[in-house]
Amino acid sequence: MNLGGRQIFASGGRPACAHDHLVGLVLCALYITLLWHTAGDIGLSRDEGIYVDAANNYASWFELLAHDRPTALTRSASDHFFHVNHEHPPLAKMLFALGHLAQEKWQIFPTESLSYRFGGMLSAGLLLWLIYIFGTRLYGPTAGLFAALAYALLPRPFYHAHLDAFDVPITCAVTCVTYAYYRSLSDWRWAPISGVVFGLALLTKHNSWILPGIFALHFVWLAATELYARKRGHAAAVSLVPWGLYAMAVLGPPIFLGGWPWLWHDTALRLQEYAAFHMHHEYYNMEYFGVNYFWPPFPVSYPWVMTLFTVPLTTLWLALAGLGHELGQWWRQLRVLLTRASADALAQPPIDRTQTLVLLLGCCLAPMVIISLPSTPIFGGTKHWFPAYPFFALFAGRTFQLTCELAKPRLSGLSAALRCSFAPVFGALLLLPSAVETAHSHPFGLSHYTAAAGGVPGAADHGMNRQFWGFTTRSLVPFFKQAMPQGGSVYICDTIWTSWQMLSRDGFLPSNIVASFDIAEADYAIVHHEKHFIEVDEQIWTTYGSVKPVYVLRYDGVPIISVYKNPHSRR
Amino acid sequence: MRFLGSRAWLCLLVLLPLGELGAHALIVSRVAPDADFRAAADFVRKQLHARDLITVAPAWADPILRLHLGDRIPLSMAGRSDDARYERMWVLSTRGALPVDASKRAPELQRDFGRVRVLRYALGKSPVLFDFTDTLLRAHATIEERGHVRDCPLHRGGVPHGGGLGRGVLFPLAERFDCDPRRPWLVVGPVVTEDLEITPRHCIWQHAAGDDPISVTWSDVPLGSELVFYAGLYYEHERMRDHGPVRADIFIDGERRGGMVHEDGDGWKRLVIATSPQAPGARGEVRVEVRAHEPDRRSFCWSATTRQTTSQGVP
Repeated sequence: MNLGGRQIFASGGRPACAHDHLVGLVLCALYITLLWHTAGDIGLSRDEGIYVDAANNYASWFELLAHDRPTALTRSASDHFFHVNHEHPPLAKMLFALGHLAQEKWQIFPTESLSYRFGGMLSAGLLLWLIYIFGTRLYGPTAGLFAALAYALLPRPFYHAHLDAFDVPITCAVTCVTYAYYRSLSDWRWAPISGVVFGLALLTKHNSWILPGIFALHFVWLAATELYARKRGHAAAVSLVPWGLYAMAVLGPPIFLGGWPWLWHDTALRLQEYAAFHMHHEYYNMEYFGVNYFWPPFPVSYPWVMTLFTVPLTTLWLALAGLGHELGQWWRQLRVLLTRASADALAQPPIDRTQTLVLLLGCCLAPMVIISLPSTPIFGGTKHWFPAYPFFALFAGRTFQLTCELAKPRLSGLSAALRCSFAPVFGALLLLPSAVETAHSHPFGLSHYTAAAGGVPGAADHGMNRQFWGFTTRSLVPFFKQAMPQGGSVYICDTIWTSWQMLSRDGFLPSNIVASFDIAEADYAIVHHEKHFIEVDEQIWTTYGSVKPVYVLRYDGVPIISVYKNPHSRR
Repeated sequence: MRFLGSRAWLCLLVLLPLGELGAHALIVSRVAPDADFRAAADFVRKQLHARDLITVAPAWADPILRLHLGDRIPLSMAGRSDDARYERMWVLSTRGALPVDASKRAPELQRDFGRVRVLRYALGKSPVLFDFTDTLLRAHATIEERGHVRDCPLHRGGVPHGGGLGRGVLFPLAERFDCDPRRPWLVVGPVVTEDLEITPRHCIWQHAAGDDPISVTWSDVPLGSELVFYAGLYYEHERMRDHGPVRADIFIDGERRGGMVHEDGDGWKRLVIATSPQAPGARGEVRVEVRAHEPDRRSFCWSATTRQTTSQGVP
């Protein structure tokens, strides 16, 4: 059953062929290669350290499963190995664990941290592949390629793509479920795939909870317009049975429950606990326009301003232009569909009866609207609405593809070679600011702000959050190696022990330079500059009797970390 | 749709990335290199006087200022409540920024060191006669319990342990009047803590013990024309705005001359008490009592000076 083929490709899209998948594969491989080679510059963040601990536990469980399956499947084993970080589902951590096991067995990765991070990088690469295929199907390969590159060159997602964390995997999963659901609208064979990938998305992160809501709203709209169009005499174009949603409802929950050993026992109680953790999440500190937010109500403008300040302007502009164009197109189509008889409508451009724009708009807006709610914690910065970005990128790709297409008549006077090179050169020009900003953001991804904010110094002027998770400590390694050739200790502020240890295990930091949690006992003490961390500055000032740091790590002149030397240190 | 193929649209799409790249290059090129800060700091260092204030603009560059001139910035300067004790202000400025407390008048000196500009403002003669935080160890602290008053002995030494968010002031303080060894926070001592605006304040920690006061007394204080008193609580103890008030009473020569009830949300609160405007050279005993009906997390901290002023404005 394929009711909507003609309408699906109404905007210049086409089915992806083997060649397209080859392009996707190349994009995926190149991106992973880039991430692989730049990951060593970024220290393990707080949350990564916690997920490393969880992944180690999961790896032990996998080993037990391989050698003694009955024991591994007992309650005591699943409770023991999956208790750590049970507030998050396991799929991404299982990937990290598999990377770690592969490292133990085959020494594939140059550093230990990379073995954990590879799963996240893989999802980042697959996401580019998926964006390309999605874009090709919606608007054609030019749009798909531009969209994939536009996403790859967003500074903040580029930083997160390096990590053993959930934010890029869930972005990949959400995009994947959306793609499968979209395909299921015209081809029921995609319905079970929707169900399976939805189950996997549930196993990745709780962002996936919103997908059924978005899809249901989309389908209600689709069905309403379809019914109305049929009443007006239009032929049936899409099925009125939401096969994809049915499959998600049927397959998603069992895959979720079956894939998470922690939920195998006391299921109802633990599910309730999991939901409660995220519905009543603890609030952390986040600076926004000079105010340290730690308690609701949070500013409604937060995700919108942060998007403006962190997504390169050209990409953002292209995305908004694409969205605006598609909205105009959609409105015109809707009027034709609802106001003209079937015979008249046939004279009009083909109509997208799957209401793709409504779907894309829902996926684009829902994550940001949820973060805009005054009660939603904002501690995670931009990463919480990353699932919106692939759809932004698709709209940017649409603008690029349309512009290239409509500019063709203007190129008629040029030579064939120049005409052929127009799209690549023009695309490269449009992506150049993103590429430059992303390269410049490394390895300070979370500290980076675009020209719209006035760059990093402008953002500091505005009182925007400087960083979080303590990941910038990695950039102090050269200083500490020079300052403590005989070893010593460092009070590590917002960095956690596992993350510090990883610097040694990766071979970046000598193992005789150890972490300390005691300012007075440490040879050096560091402060990650976030507004509320002035408290640690003050503790150091009082303990060391001086306000003078010996080193200030800066990014575009903005202090990122201050390092103080203990006057009582013998080093 | 035709607009997307128009010449204007194409021009826009060529100019926008070029503009963005230009803006990025401009932002990066305006970053002051460390050598400029060093040269500016060396210049300032050679000319510093005893009552000079050193500051930086924009404020976020403060760690860089302290890196280069931190040895000339005592805790009292880093955690000042106002600029009254200073007679000149040095500013290391980048990108044209000025500190919020800069004088409206033109600077008396201005010199550029690459991308760092040094400005010096004359603040006028300091009206400050006596700083209570600086002289705390000359004072005498007591605690009252069920009508019985006992001394809080002065102790020196001890190493504070730990550190980190939510820990606040680390105990034991290097120098403090211990009011109860079982409650290490029940001390009177100089600290730096952050107020509700997350601004560092160099102040006298005088945690409330209950309805009965903890008191600290100075004798032979030059009273001047006014006593300017600032007070607040540790940020994390005040920010939820769910604790009871703290009361501070200020006595001069045994007579209550003023006081403050500090409610959560008040932040770093200012109080001015007229002292002895008719007798400019007068000296006297000053006592500050702090109490709270619910003393849990009432981490009251205050700083004060006596001043000889001719106007009521904030110096």
